[in-house]
Amino acid sequence: MSPTAPNYRRHNDSADASFEIELIRELAVDQTKAAFAVPALFTNPPPIQDGLETQTSKARSDTMQKCLPFLLNDDTSDSPIPKQNSFGIPSLRKKDHVNFLHGNLADFPAPFVAMDASRPWLFYWSLAGLSFLGEDVSEYRERLVQTVKPLQNATGGFGGGHGQLSHIASSYACVLSLAIVGGKEALELVDRKAMWQWLGSVKQRDGGFQVTHGGEEDMRGAYCAMTIISLLNLPLALPSGSPARVKGDETFLTGLMGWISHCQSFEGGIGAAPGNEAHGGYAFCALACLCIIGEPHETINRCLDVPLLLSWLSAQQTTPEGGFAGRTNKLVDACYSHWIGGCWALLEAAMRGANQSSSECLPPGSLWSREGLTRYLLCCCQAKSGGLRDKPGARPDAYHTCYSLAGLNAAQNHYYYSPDTKGNPAPLSASFNWRVDATKEEGVPFDEDDRIRLVHPVYVLPWGTAEQTRDFFKDKDVD
Amino acid sequence: MGLYSESPDWADIEPIPQDEGGPNPLAAIHYSEEYSEAMGYLRAVMARNEMSSRALALTEDIIDMNPAHYTIWLYRAEILFAIKADLHQELEWLNETALAHQKNYQIWNHRQTVVDRVGSPAGEAEFIARMFEKDAKNYHVWSYRQWLVRRFDLWEKGELEDVELLLKHDIRNNSAWNHRWFIVFGRDDSAVAGDVIQREMDYAKDAIRLAPQNQSPWNYLKGVTRRAGNPMSSLKDFASEFASIERPNEVRSSYALDLLAEIYSQESDGKLDAAVALDLLAKHYDPIRANYWNYRKALLEQPATAA
Ligand SMILES: [Zn+2]
Repeated sequence: MSPTAPNYRRHNDSADASFEIELIRELAVDQTKAAFAVPALFTNPPPIQDGLETQTSKARSDTMQKCLPFLLNDDTSDSPIPKQNSFGIPSLRKKDHVNFLHGNLADFPAPFVAMDASRPWLFYWSLAGLSFLGEDVSEYRERLVQTVKPLQNATGGFGGGHGQLSHIASSYACVLSLAIVGGKEALELVDRKAMWQWLGSVKQRDGGFQVTHGGEEDMRGAYCAMTIISLLNLPLALPSGSPARVKGDETFLTGLMGWISHCQSFEGGIGAAPGNEAHGGYAFCALACLCIIGEPHETINRCLDVPLLLSWLSAQQTTPEGGFAGRTNKLVDACYSHWIGGCWALLEAAMRGANQSSSECLPPGSLWSREGLTRYLLCCCQAKSGGLRDKPGARPDAYHTCYSLAGLNAAQNHYYYSPDTKGNPAPLSASFNWRVDATKEEGVPFDEDDRIRLVHPVYVLPWGTAEQTRDFFKDKDVD
Repeated sequence: MGLYSESPDWADIEPIPQDEGGPNPLAAIHYSEEYSEAMGYLRAVMARNEMSSRALALTEDIIDMNPAHYTIWLYRAEILFAIKADLHQELEWLNETALAHQKNYQIWNHRQTVVDRVGSPAGEAEFIARMFEKDAKNYHVWSYRQWLVRRFDLWEKGELEDVELLLKHDIRNNSAWNHRWFIVFGRDDSAVAGDVIQREMDYAKDAIRLAPQNQSPWNYLKGVTRRAGNPMSSLKDFASEFASIERPNEVRSSYALDLLAEIYSQESDGKLDAAVALDLLAKHYDPIRANYWNYRKALLEQPATAA
């Protein structure tokens, strides 16, 4: 659409007055566009492209074609044109996303039966997303407590539904959801002693965690387990009967860092398990898990080849879209806004070393393009009816909404590690030492209205929730 | 009224209805009557830990309606072994189910449990090839394949040939490159023979010549070099085929430029050349990563320890 020839869209049923308002707004939009040309980086194909065509290259150029009209803010299918921020790109449509997430906590029709074993994820994604958008979700407390109660098994842990076996992902999602709504009634619902015993029963001799009895052993298992243990302040000692208890003095940490270390692939990224392909989701799980085990500069530097991981993470940002892909030669996808976007703060903390203020090598700004990610999320991923989506053409869902918002948060703030006291922190206390600098980096195209609430970089919980939860269980035993 | 409540085979079972916890559950699903009923019976037989062929049939019925139900898969595996069911028949049924539900991943853990018990990988490579026709980057299928290789010692049983076929079809399939690494280097930590290193270097180099802006073989080539204990400078001539700071307008691969920057940075008088290469990346050939390239440039100022 050229600035001199605005595309007037008249609605047959609209009154003249509202037509006028729309016309004025469209004119304003066009002026904004003229003033804020999109940098060529986000409108042109990558500078070098090979001639050889394969399935991968075709999929990449299809995705680029789908995204370009949105990046140029030229998508004509939107009517009326969504509100723009002062950078001439769509504002974050908070109200629509809030409505969308409330909808994800309401009833679902029968075809959604595939969600039957992952409803706890819906609780977490929706409640977390709503909190990130500034909503008070305590109104959900009573209903959540009721809904979650039948999911807890007497032998410890939560299943995906009533009568389902305990699973580490359901347990993680239930515990985090209860933490988000907060309050005594919610937090005391968790049978901590049984949870401790159940987690002991999925801890493996090689250091990792199975996701359920007889299920796979992967990085999610390790991250979810350590998250639960640290938030609920469970003992680090293994309960008797744990398959990982051989000599008797093993803990939940025994062999864990070695196991994580084996998951770093030759590419530098991290796979689900040793030998697997490097993948963004598991990179975040590994880094966050290491940030729970100890101080980032201790654990991450000891366990991983940091320069190689940095180079791999950096390579996942795609051009011209600006978002992140999850693996080498795969497509941009909004959920990696968090899985990759959330890795930066954790890795930077490791790179700054023990003396967090000395960052000789680290640039004052960022190691990645916050502008690119912000453009991708605001331009390409907001669905008209609310909610955020993988990419244009995909349907929005609670999963992509939650992790897009978390990714936006990563682009809007600088999180850094700063312990109160020097020296060795108490076991599993390092993850409560994060601080934030919310100064906006120059050139990142968002307004104050586009800001979301602060998010804990390790726990992906609303700022403060992790500390409150840990405090609640501070003096509690498991007897 | 339904399939189970009217069947004399199930007359002894009192179904356990779903406990929703209260009048207003969150994210409640309005189940179809068939699913609700079957799940009621499932909860009841699971509570009795019943191992029977009717319970097995019940799990199949529910999996048809909802294959994304990990509990049912785990229970099914237990029943199969307890009643000594025909596991080859199970695998045939799994083939159909996996092809019908491409995105489902719970099925792969189940398949692993069953094949482990069968004790033979016969037919598995063929089935995996069919899955890869639909999606050659399916993470769970690749992970299952690695398990097969380890469990049945298949390192030299056609894996490399299969990878080559997939790469012939799509030289950018990074999952196939990862599997190649796994087959050649993933067996143990011992040294790999020199001729194997040479073979792998040549393979990656040929792939790069086919499409120089393909990151997968570059990552592979650098990985092999590191694993062999060779310096990156051994790749200088090769990288120079695709990029040179003398001819800044003719760069054919940003990955070659990245590698050259790394090589220059390790040379005693190479810092300036490294900076030129990194500038080319930041400003012209890979500006989305400008911050990263500038960080690498800042590292050049650091004393010897620079990465
Ligand atoms: Zn996604």
